[in-house]
Amino acid sequence: MTRLLLSVLAPLEWLNRRLMPAGSVLAAILLALMVVIILAQVFFRYVLNAALPWPEEAARFLMLWMTGLAAPAIYRRGGFVAIDMLEVALPKRGAAVLQLVLLLISALVLAVALQFGWKHVNSGWLFNSASLRLPDLFGMGVIRVKLAWMYLSIFVGIVLLIMANIELILRSLITLLGGARELPLIQTLTVTETE
Amino acid sequence: MLIWFLPVFLVFLMIGLPVFFALLAAPGILLWMNGQERDVALLYRNVYNGMDSFPLMAIPFFMLAGELMNRGGITERLVEFSQALMGHLRGGLAHVNILSSMLFAGLSGSAVADTSALGSMLIPAMEKQGYTRRFSAAITAASSVIGPIIPPSGIMIIYAYVMGESVAALFLAGIVPGILVGLSLMLMVKIMADRYDFPVASRKTTWREKGQASLKAFLPLMTPVIIMGGILGGIFTPTEAAAVAAAYGLLIGLFVMRTLRISDLGGIFQRSAATSAVVLLLVGAAMAFKTVVSLSHAPEILANIILGLSDNPLILLFLINILLFIVGMFLDAGPAIIILGPVLGPVFTDLGVDPIHFAMIMSVNLTVGLITPPMGLVLFVASSVSGERISTISRAILPFLAMEIIVIFLITYIPALSMTIPRLTGFAD
Repeated sequence: MTRLLLSVLAPLEWLNRRLMPAGSVLAAILLALMVVIILAQVFFRYVLNAALPWPEEAARFLMLWMTGLAAPAIYRRGGFVAIDMLEVALPKRGAAVLQLVLLLISALVLAVALQFGWKHVNSGWLFNSASLRLPDLFGMGVIRVKLAWMYLSIFVGIVLLIMANIELILRSLITLLGGARELPLIQTLTVTETE
Repeated sequence: MLIWFLPVFLVFLMIGLPVFFALLAAPGILLWMNGQERDVALLYRNVYNGMDSFPLMAIPFFMLAGELMNRGGITERLVEFSQALMGHLRGGLAHVNILSSMLFAGLSGSAVADTSALGSMLIPAMEKQGYTRRFSAAITAASSVIGPIIPPSGIMIIYAYVMGESVAALFLAGIVPGILVGLSLMLMVKIMADRYDFPVASRKTTWREKGQASLKAFLPLMTPVIIMGGILGGIFTPTEAAAVAAAYGLLIGLFVMRTLRISDLGGIFQRSAATSAVVLLLVGAAMAFKTVVSLSHAPEILANIILGLSDNPLILLFLINILLFIVGMFLDAGPAIIILGPVLGPVFTDLGVDPIHFAMIMSVNLTVGLITPPMGLVLFVASSVSGERISTISRAILPFLAMEIIVIFLITYIPALSMTIPRLTGFAD
C-alpha cells in the first residue's frame, strides 16, 4: 500500500517541487512591477500633473496574480495560519489522523471553490476591464482586456492549492501507514508575518 | 439557524484547520444546509472582490519596505543612534533595545521583523554586558510589540480595510499609544535597573558624538517622515506612500548605505510576495465571512448578549479587553482582527465608542497577544533568535507584560490618547 501511494506521490511531488517555486519567483517579479507602476502613477500625477488612467487597475491585476501564484507554495510548506494546539497535544498517531481530517476538510473547500471559480472566470469573458487595454499592434483596433484574465488569477491559485493539497493528503496517508521516512522533504523559505 | 456558523467556525479553528479554510468552510456549510446555495457563490465572489482592492496593496509594499530595511546596516545605525542617546543610563542596553524598537517601528509594520532584526544584534550584545539571556530576549520581544502600533502598521491597514475606516486616521491614532508602550517599558527597566544594579552600556556621549550618530541614522529615520508627511500633505495615498517607502529603502540600501546586495533582492521580493499573498487570501476570506456575519444578524444577537451583561460601556470595555486578551493568546493579531473586527466593532460603535478608538483598543490588545503563550508569534521568534526556551522567556517577560496591560487600560479609558492626533489633523471628528 505504502509503495503504491509513494508511486502516486512521486510524479505529483516532482511537478509541485518545480511549479510552486516557479510561482513564487513569478510573484516576486509581479511585486516588483507593482512598485514600478505605482511609482509611475505618483510621478505622473504629482510631478507631471497628468494622472494616468490605468496604473491602479494594472497594479491590482498584478497583485491578484501575485496572490494566486505565491500562496500555494506557502500552503504546501504548511505556512497557512492555524492554531496547532490540539495537534501538539495529541499522541503521534492521533495527530496524524487529525492532520488527514483537516486536509480533507480543506480539500472540500477547495473543490467547491473550484466549481464557483470556473463559473466566475467564464462570466468574466462578458466584461471588459475599465482601463486596461492592449496596444494596437496588429491593426485590429484597440483590444480591451477582458475581466476574465483578472478572475483567472485566483482560479489558477485554487488549482495550484488543490495540487498542493493532494500532495499533502498523500504524504499524510503515507505517514499514517508508517512510511514517513521515505517521504521527500519540502524545501522551506523563511517567512515573516504581517504582525 | 445561520447563526450556528459561529460555533462551527470556532470548532474548526480549535481543531487546527487553517484560518483561511475555516473562514470559508463554516459559513459555506451553514448556507448550504439552509438551502441558500446561491449565497455560496456569493461567498466565492466576495473572496475575490475582497482581495481586489487598492488600499490593501499597501500590505505587500510595506512588507517589502520592511524586508529591505531589515538588513544589518540599517538596524546597526538605529541601535548606534539609540545608544548615543540612552546608553549611559543604568540598564543602558535595555533602554537602547526599547528605543531601537520604537524607531524601527517607524520603518516597518511588523513585530516579527522587529524581533528578528534587533534580537539577533542586541541579545548577544546584552549578554556580553552581563544581562541574562532570558531577560535580553524578553525585553526584545516585549518592545517589538511597538512595531505594529507606531505607523506604518500591517494590522491597521487590514483593520481599516475590513472595517471601512481610514488608514491615515488609524496610523495617526497609533502614534501616542505606541510611544506610551515604549515609555512604560522604559519605566519598568528603570525600576528593575535600580533594584538589580544593571550595567550602563557606555559613558555619556558628547553632543558631537550624538550628532555623528544622528547623521548616520538620518537616512533610515527619514522613512517615517516621508510616509506620514506624504500622506498628511495629501501628496500620496497610504498605498502610494508604501510603494515610495519600498523604493526609498531599495535606493538607500543599494547605493547610499550599501547594506543590500543585488543578490539579496530575489529572496527579499519572494518573501514579501509570499507573506503578503497569505495575508491577502486571509483578508479575502474575511470579507466573505463578513457578509455571512451580517446575513446571520450575528452582531445584533451578540450585541443583545453583551448588553445583557451590563449597559455600562466602561464595564463592557473591560470585559471586551479580557476577551481580546484571551483570543490574543491563541491567535495572531492579524487573523484575530480579521475575525473579531466585523463582529465586535459595530456593537461598540453603537455604544458610542469612536470607531478609531475601538480600533486602537483592539490593535494594541491583540498585538500584546503576540508575546503571550501558548501561541505568541513574537515569543517563538525571540526564542529562535536567542536560543532560550519559550517557557523561560515567557516568565522573564511578565513584568513587561504587566506594564503593557496597564497601557491597554490607559488607552481604553482615555480616548484622548488615541484620538487627539487624528482630530488635530482633521482625520477624525
